[in-house]
Amino acid sequence: MADCSRRRFLHACAMTGAALKLGPLALNAATTSGPALSIARYKTSPQAPEAIAEEARRLTQEAVNGLGGMGRFISRGDVVWIKPNIGWNRRPEQAATTNPDVVATLISMCYAVGAKRVIVSDNSCNAAPPSFAHSGIQQAAEKAGAECFILDERKFRKTALQGKVLQSWDVYGDILGVNKLINAPIVKHHGLCKATLGMKNLMGVVGGERNRFHQDLSNTVVDLATFIKPTLVVMDAVRVLTANGPVGGNLADVQRRDTVAAGTDQVAIDAFGATLLGLKPQDIGYIAEAHNRKLGTMAFETLKPRRIEI
Amino acid sequence: MARPKTTWPVWLRRTSQSAFLLLFFYFFLQAVYRPINQTGRGVDFFFQLDPLVLLSSVLASHKVAAGLSLSLLTVVVTLLAGRWFCGWVCPFGTLHHLISSWRSARVKERLTVGGYSRWQRSKYYVLFALLVGCVFGLNLTGWFDPFSFLYRSTATIIFPMANDAIGSFFGWIYQTDPGIGPAKVTSVSEPIYEVLRRHFLAASQPHFYGTTLLVLFFAAALFLNLYRARFWCRYVCPLGGLLGVIGKNPLVQIKQNQEVCNDCRLCVADCQGGANPDSAGGWKPSECVYCWNCHSACPHHGIVFAIHVPGGTK
Amino acid sequence: MITSLLRWLKHFFQPPPAAKLDLKRRGLIVGGIAGVSSAFLVRSSALGQGRTFSPELIRPPGATAEDDFLARCIRCGECMKVCPTNAIQPALDEGGIEGLWTPVLKMRLGYCEYECTLCSQVCPTQAIQRMHLEDKQKIKIGLAFFDRNRCLPYASARTCIVCEEHCPTPKKAIWFEEVQVMTPERTLTTVKQPRVNPELCTGCGICENKCPITDMRGVYITSVGETRHPKNQPLLDPYAS
Repeated sequence: MADCSRRRFLHACAMTGAALKLGPLALNAATTSGPALSIARYKTSPQAPEAIAEEARRLTQEAVNGLGGMGRFISRGDVVWIKPNIGWNRRPEQAATTNPDVVATLISMCYAVGAKRVIVSDNSCNAAPPSFAHSGIQQAAEKAGAECFILDERKFRKTALQGKVLQSWDVYGDILGVNKLINAPIVKHHGLCKATLGMKNLMGVVGGERNRFHQDLSNTVVDLATFIKPTLVVMDAVRVLTANGPVGGNLADVQRRDTVAAGTDQVAIDAFGATLLGLKPQDIGYIAEAHNRKLGTMAFETLKPRRIEI
Repeated sequence: MARPKTTWPVWLRRTSQSAFLLLFFYFFLQAVYRPINQTGRGVDFFFQLDPLVLLSSVLASHKVAAGLSLSLLTVVVTLLAGRWFCGWVCPFGTLHHLISSWRSARVKERLTVGGYSRWQRSKYYVLFALLVGCVFGLNLTGWFDPFSFLYRSTATIIFPMANDAIGSFFGWIYQTDPGIGPAKVTSVSEPIYEVLRRHFLAASQPHFYGTTLLVLFFAAALFLNLYRARFWCRYVCPLGGLLGVIGKNPLVQIKQNQEVCNDCRLCVADCQGGANPDSAGGWKPSECVYCWNCHSACPHHGIVFAIHVPGGTK
Repeated sequence: MITSLLRWLKHFFQPPPAAKLDLKRRGLIVGGIAGVSSAFLVRSSALGQGRTFSPELIRPPGATAEDDFLARCIRCGECMKVCPTNAIQPALDEGGIEGLWTPVLKMRLGYCEYECTLCSQVCPTQAIQRMHLEDKQKIKIGLAFFDRNRCLPYASARTCIVCEEHCPTPKKAIWFEEVQVMTPERTLTTVKQPRVNPELCTGCGICENKCPITDMRGVYITSVGETRHPKNQPLLDPYAS
């Protein structure tokens, strides 16, 4: 994306300025209060593909209902952006991308409470057309009636993030115009930061030279998460990638956790996700940094999460 | 003398050329990623029709790729009916034909541009040199094959430029976001853009190295048509040369009615192939691309193409 | 009927004057000499017949050995159009003059998608051989090498390993060693310094493509190790894995 002219930059700032009144991005407006974290777990671990799909659907529903239902987050007429992980050209079984049935269920739940438009997209790391198709998310999203499109490189807008390290960065223009954002990551091992969870998943809403973030991943990720406070985070842990992440590829690295978590505290839900990989939340740089900046708490047990077993 | 109305074979030929040109672009646009790890069917259709690709490939590598045998159909058609392929099918030829038609109204100028020249032999020498090279393992026919030339130029120059122009236009509307109050231009432009992206535009802007050389050759090939009609087809194209050799004695030949001919040479002025349509006994079947322009141009309806029984009187 | 057919055939070899191709013998001789001499000139060049290997000549996976490839490739550009990452580019001098406009991969623009065989599906002459995805994933088109003078963890004591993050092989071909290094402030810090495992690396180039040192990458691919050339191998047993 070529440099914007000063006029366009100011225009973009004006747009985000309106949003700045409610918090960097006007997305964290849950209408009623309720539990901050809910964890749904399957007692069994079915192997048949249809059974796994059914498991993913039910877990997603139970997790969100455990927080009070989708109606707590999405209101009639909302424009919702569901941001799954569609970063990689991998099959769903390889656990590099979000489970498509989790995504499809979220779409249906949004429409059920009266959302006007549901958009599903991500700024893929691999080439976008194969990633969207191979992950199964394009097909699942279109079947559920959402708008699923590949991002257009011309639509990134230089936006003031006012973070500790990131002053401004290219954010996808259309995202700046939605009401609600649901972050839908998958739990994966990561070579550099040990685990990639929800806050890191937000890298998919920005463009530019994201490959520089890794030089200070803790701060860049938290700057992003501070700017984009999602309305809701739904964490896919039906399958998790335990090694050779975030791309994976070897089915032997994929393990079942049969869990879907939902929450409003980005730090807490990421801390929970870390434990699913056998890691301590404080060992992960961006979780500790986010906790220190009081973006949330990594002591997720103190939030008294609702645990649902089905 | 008033120019006669364009005759129906010429309209038929134009329809055929347009259809194959659109087909070429259709197959071009089909060469994209399809779920999962697939691409459009028949994207190399024109190459499968091309006997020069088959011949050069077999000579140089001693192996035959499946599918190229479709080109034998082209050989059979050419044996029987001459270089119809050049005049009615070849999309590169259509582009040359289009530019060649944009020429002077003055008959005398058109005679120079359209008339036969002995330099038209050069394409046979090009073909021979390329095939000899193939026998010894060097296959450079790809530089000169008309479909390779057109596809390469479309892929590296035309399509990226068009993609960039269209994308930049809609991107500029998106970024400046003009409108009056709540009525924004983007509410109209964005849906149009999405349709274009879904069916024509690339998922992300393609870029290529070395475009300068490619565009120079492509532009030269096209612009030389202003100097001589169908310059590429007459002087350079090795596929045209090959089809000219195969179509040396076609069953469909020209029939000139000498009684009505008054040597106005309007047929020569419009001749695309440079085949001497006015010359009794001098018509060159290897150069004729069967465009039927001579049939259309003759004010006395003195030219027609008909099946010629071999061995009978001319 | 038969006599008509024979007469028609005879016209091919003894055409009436106008139908003659009218080619000059001199022209054919010049053309023939041009063809033969070009062929032998190319054969005797340093690049021909596998004498030397050009590091930038990275061909798509499935490409046959170079002499056969050049004999088949018709420089049509279908592979360039279909490549989803825009990696395939028309060569200029990487393959010698005879390689002009043949496909080479330029990792700065794109990389070879691990789960893709599109170029092999569109090649009209099968200069890029069609194959199953599992077989393509075993093919090496080159190997990655780190430029330690530029790679950030080596040269500037900064963390990075975007290369390792993107490496698509199921067991990552890029591994790292945690090393204590000195910072400009003269303190000690630990960085992960990446290395290539040449047995696992397929040369796909996503590491080079994503490296943040944009102009001259900290990790880059060269053609050595390419499966299609048994002579262009660095390892004792290149197929050990």
